[in-house]
Amino acid sequence: MEKEKNKRSFFTSVKEKTVLFFKDKKKKIVNFFKTLPARTKAKFAGAKEILTQGNGKVCASMCVMGLGQLMYKQWAKGILYLLVQAAFLAYFVLKGAGDFIGFFTLGVKEGNAWYGEQGDNSVIMLLMGILSVIAIIFYAVIYIANVKDAYRIQCAADTLKPTPSFKKELTSLLNKNFHKTALALPIVGVCVFSILPIIFMIAIAFTNYGGEVVPPALIDWVGFENFGKILTLGQFAPTFFKIFGWNILWAVLSTFINYFAGLGLALLLSKKCVKGKTFWRLFPILAYAVPGFITLIAFKFMFSYGGPINQIITGAGGTAVGFLDIDAKWTARLIGLSVNAWLNIPSGMLLATGILSNVNSDLYEAARVDGASSWKQFVRITLPYVLFATMPVLISQFIANFNNFGIFYFLRGGLYMDGYFLASDTDLLINWLYNMSIDNNYYSIGAAISIIIFIVTSIISLAVYVMSPSYKQEETYQ
Amino acid sequence: MTKRKFKPRKLFNIAVTYLIILAVCFVFLFPILWLVLASFSKTGSIYSFKGFFPTEYSFDSFKKLFTDTEMYNYPRWFGNTLFIALMSSLLGTTLTILTAYCMSRFRFKTRKAMMKTTLVLGMFPSFMTMTAVYILMTQFNLINQQWGLILIYSAGAPMGYLTQKGFFDTISVSIDEAARMDGASNFKIFWRITLPLAAPMIVYTLLSSFVWPWSDFILPKLLLKNKDLYTVAVGLMSLDNTEFSRFAAGSVFIAVPIVVFYFGLSKFLISGLSAGAVKQ
Repeated sequence: MEKEKNKRSFFTSVKEKTVLFFKDKKKKIVNFFKTLPARTKAKFAGAKEILTQGNGKVCASMCVMGLGQLMYKQWAKGILYLLVQAAFLAYFVLKGAGDFIGFFTLGVKEGNAWYGEQGDNSVIMLLMGILSVIAIIFYAVIYIANVKDAYRIQCAADTLKPTPSFKKELTSLLNKNFHKTALALPIVGVCVFSILPIIFMIAIAFTNYGGEVVPPALIDWVGFENFGKILTLGQFAPTFFKIFGWNILWAVLSTFINYFAGLGLALLLSKKCVKGKTFWRLFPILAYAVPGFITLIAFKFMFSYGGPINQIITGAGGTAVGFLDIDAKWTARLIGLSVNAWLNIPSGMLLATGILSNVNSDLYEAARVDGASSWKQFVRITLPYVLFATMPVLISQFIANFNNFGIFYFLRGGLYMDGYFLASDTDLLINWLYNMSIDNNYYSIGAAISIIIFIVTSIISLAVYVMSPSYKQEETYQ
Repeated sequence: MTKRKFKPRKLFNIAVTYLIILAVCFVFLFPILWLVLASFSKTGSIYSFKGFFPTEYSFDSFKKLFTDTEMYNYPRWFGNTLFIALMSSLLGTTLTILTAYCMSRFRFKTRKAMMKTTLVLGMFPSFMTMTAVYILMTQFNLINQQWGLILIYSAGAPMGYLTQKGFFDTISVSIDEAARMDGASNFKIFWRITLPLAAPMIVYTLLSSFVWPWSDFILPKLLLKNKDLYTVAVGLMSLDNTEFSRFAAGSVFIAVPIVVFYFGLSKFLISGLSAGAVKQ
């Protein structure tokens, strides 16, 4: 009875929390639009001020970067800005403008190998087009900084304050503006190697790139056609839904197993009666330390016909089992789950060990005095605390499991089955994505799948996060 | 309830605990032990095993690994992997620590937006971008170049700055303020005060950003086409099926340094892993 009640109260509380969250969001969104005009006005107040109050020298900086600074005799800075301007203009005239237009056309002239004609390469045009947009944004940021700087010098000159010397501004990059110096490289790196490729793949999802349509053939924008194909077309849709269902089940099960097994192991090893904790802890750490691909290949061999497990079975008089054969749907899935557990329990254990050492031991003392059983102590003290502290990690583990490429790539890679399009019954969406785009050139469909994966994982992790205790009661344990 | 502590019950409890621990340790040890034994097997094929154990033992596969380099140049792969992993670990750690420090200590206009952006970017499947990276690398002429890989690994590293940021958040700001009173610049505070305090976190970051390239196989497989440039992971995967003991020997050899590191640094590991868990 009480359990039932608890359950109900749990669900109602979840419902309430969700409703509250959306109410909160709604209020925020409404508020956002209500205050939008005022905030834009405030944002452009500075610009307006510069436009109306700026003198000729500021205008000179607006026309040619650095000119105003030069007129104020700030030589080094002016020359630097001039150089940036010149470099950008050179890039834009020679390459950027063409790249920018190419982003929309994706090439007009088809190459012809027979006549040795060099045509447009749509893929490179797309990528370079995105790069040119990023370059333009960078330029705009520097341009605005330049105008603001010119205006600041004007203000300083008008009020007869000394303008800060170039050297002083350079040293401020190590002090007040240290974050600008320090973050410059990481930001450029992330822009080029993370953001640019992601934008590129999002763009690809809306083109017909892949299959027959690869350069030198020209690629076109097709809108949402690829998503439609995945969800409705006979070729893709059944495979997609089958894999999708299994993928959700896999992610939930494996996250659950790994998390609680890791926690359990940590609790077991932290029991008072266990001697030599450091020694016992070495075994999971050993499993954690061996590179994943090695253990995965080793497991594949272990479960093969000649592997030790089958040898033991045949030695005991049984017949060899094809654990990972083409028709071994559920055994293969179970082996996948347990191998994944083997790989991930150690890190879960280390994490839980770290967290458990922070639990306030007075709580247990009080519980023991009140006569709470150790199970009750676990459910009422340990679990809420650990869940609270690890919720962000739990979510990222869920995403990692959802996108767990290695397990089935190594255990059962390269199997294509009937009833599936370029996939097998253990493959996750990420494996399907790999099969489609890397092995079989279905680039645009692959990109569309990855967008779907992104949407699903972000919705689920947002929902979990909203319902988690870490969200609403941030200060409980502080 | 509390008075029910009879001795036999307690003994039974202890016995069960140890039994479970032994079983768990066996499960963790079993595949690794099997692999180590296989690397010492004489014949090289897994079909010549007697159940769990190889029929004959020898050092041949280790010798072959380093001398028979015509088809499979293991020493070369090992050198490549070491170079790539070391370089990306150094560069990646520098970038990550800088990012985490700024995010933890400075309050600037775009900070919240940047934190949210990295969170969203992290939700994209990691190699959805593989094709794009490949095309980008051909454009930069970095295919078949070790520096290309190093660039990708270290540029991607700052995305995982949250653990380090969590750690910096726990270092009290009052030390910084005291130093600022004495006229130290922010750079000096970072260099002289924060960095030495963050030594455990730096060790953790170095280790984790070393392990990733050390055992990654997708990127090198995509970007290194020349056999002489292979990393160990790609090389071992390119081995023929009949070369099982060579695979085992090669695996044991690259796993050993990591295992030694992890054993030696297991304290840092625990604190590093749980630093990421503490709420931001």
